[in-house]
Amino acid sequence: MPANQRSFVDEMANFKFSLARSLKLKEVMGYDTHRIVDGPVCSSDLACFGLQHLFRNNLLSPDGFDALYVVTQSPDYLMPPTSNVIQGRLGLKHDMFCMDINQGCAGFVIGLLQSFLLLNQPSVNRVVLINVDVLSRKTSARDRNSYPLIGDAASITVIERCEDATPIHSNLKMDGAGREALMIPAGGMRLPSSPDTAVVEDDGDNNFRAKDHLRMDGSAVFNFVQVEVPPMIEELLRTAGATTEEIDFFLFHQPNRFMLQKLADKMKVPYEKMPNNIVEHYGNASGVTIPMAICHNLRERLLSGSVRACLAGFGVGLTWASMLMRLGPLDFCDLVEFP
Amino acid sequence: MVMEEICTKLADILQVDEIKPTDVLASFEEWDSLSVLSVVAMVDADYGVNLGAKDLLGVSTAQGLAQLIAQKRGN
Repeated sequence: MPANQRSFVDEMANFKFSLARSLKLKEVMGYDTHRIVDGPVCSSDLACFGLQHLFRNNLLSPDGFDALYVVTQSPDYLMPPTSNVIQGRLGLKHDMFCMDINQGCAGFVIGLLQSFLLLNQPSVNRVVLINVDVLSRKTSARDRNSYPLIGDAASITVIERCEDATPIHSNLKMDGAGREALMIPAGGMRLPSSPDTAVVEDDGDNNFRAKDHLRMDGSAVFNFVQVEVPPMIEELLRTAGATTEEIDFFLFHQPNRFMLQKLADKMKVPYEKMPNNIVEHYGNASGVTIPMAICHNLRERLLSGSVRACLAGFGVGLTWASMLMRLGPLDFCDLVEFP
Repeated sequence: MVMEEICTKLADILQVDEIKPTDVLASFEEWDSLSVLSVVAMVDADYGVNLGAKDLLGVSTAQGLAQLIAQKRGN
């Protein structure tokens, strides 16, 4: 994660809302500090830094993996894929499957699913999954709807076959009819970036943003999560023959504290089993929040032992996915700062 | 009754002492996206009704909200 830390209190003056209302928002949503890149840092910069850290500390060998998945919605370029950029910058072997996956909040679960599928190939022994986003660069600093919660970060997950592994259950749903709830309207082929799309204006809700910026329909997303996520988890547990009580931790995507508490209430899960503290420390870095929740809250426990974990990601797409697995013991579970 | 209950809950969300059934919600200074989200969450948790922000666009008063909840619950 970037070393550059910003605080909500310092940023409140940028918003066209009374300080009292912004402080109320801080209290309800759990906004405090967030980590965002300082300057034109790209996804591949964070990813290469992280991989080099692993190489340097002998946690991963540069030629020790056969596939590189990069899940991002803030690629370095429209083309080529950011996974190829990373491969080229680090001089990795040619006998390597590089692929970008355009997913966000559900991107960690989707990346794991894809990695597991690829590990069915006899020629693939180890997969490196990178989730990375620098969406602060596409978010208006005058948009109180999105800017306070945005975080930038990358996570690197190394996945390999294990002969005595316990079964992993997963389910995945998508609904493209809700595609406009979370989007960056301009910059693709539908609406190319132009001077017009860069104009920052009041979007009708006292938040100032341009069409080049990320926009989120907060109520629609909240509604979607409360309606779709609990039945998805019920279905997952039912299929796996597990009960809510048997799960040690619900490691969910971290949109904000409020949404996670409401989700826990609805699912009748105690708050201590569903961490909700990532946005207040680091911000919401889309697909990276689940690995961050793991490293921030369970590091010691997972280095020495394991937990029965239910993971879930939900958001842009719309996409929602969950996974039930025994997590740990891990070889490495650290948060590292990008200078 | 439900109407009084909803007025109390709305007053709580808008941080005012009292709301009458016919008060226009948008006339309160605190009626912003956070309040809308709080209303959506309250209606979900307390009445088991999932409202979209679009549903709320058609609601201007506490009375309107009570009617919408009743309609969504099918009674």
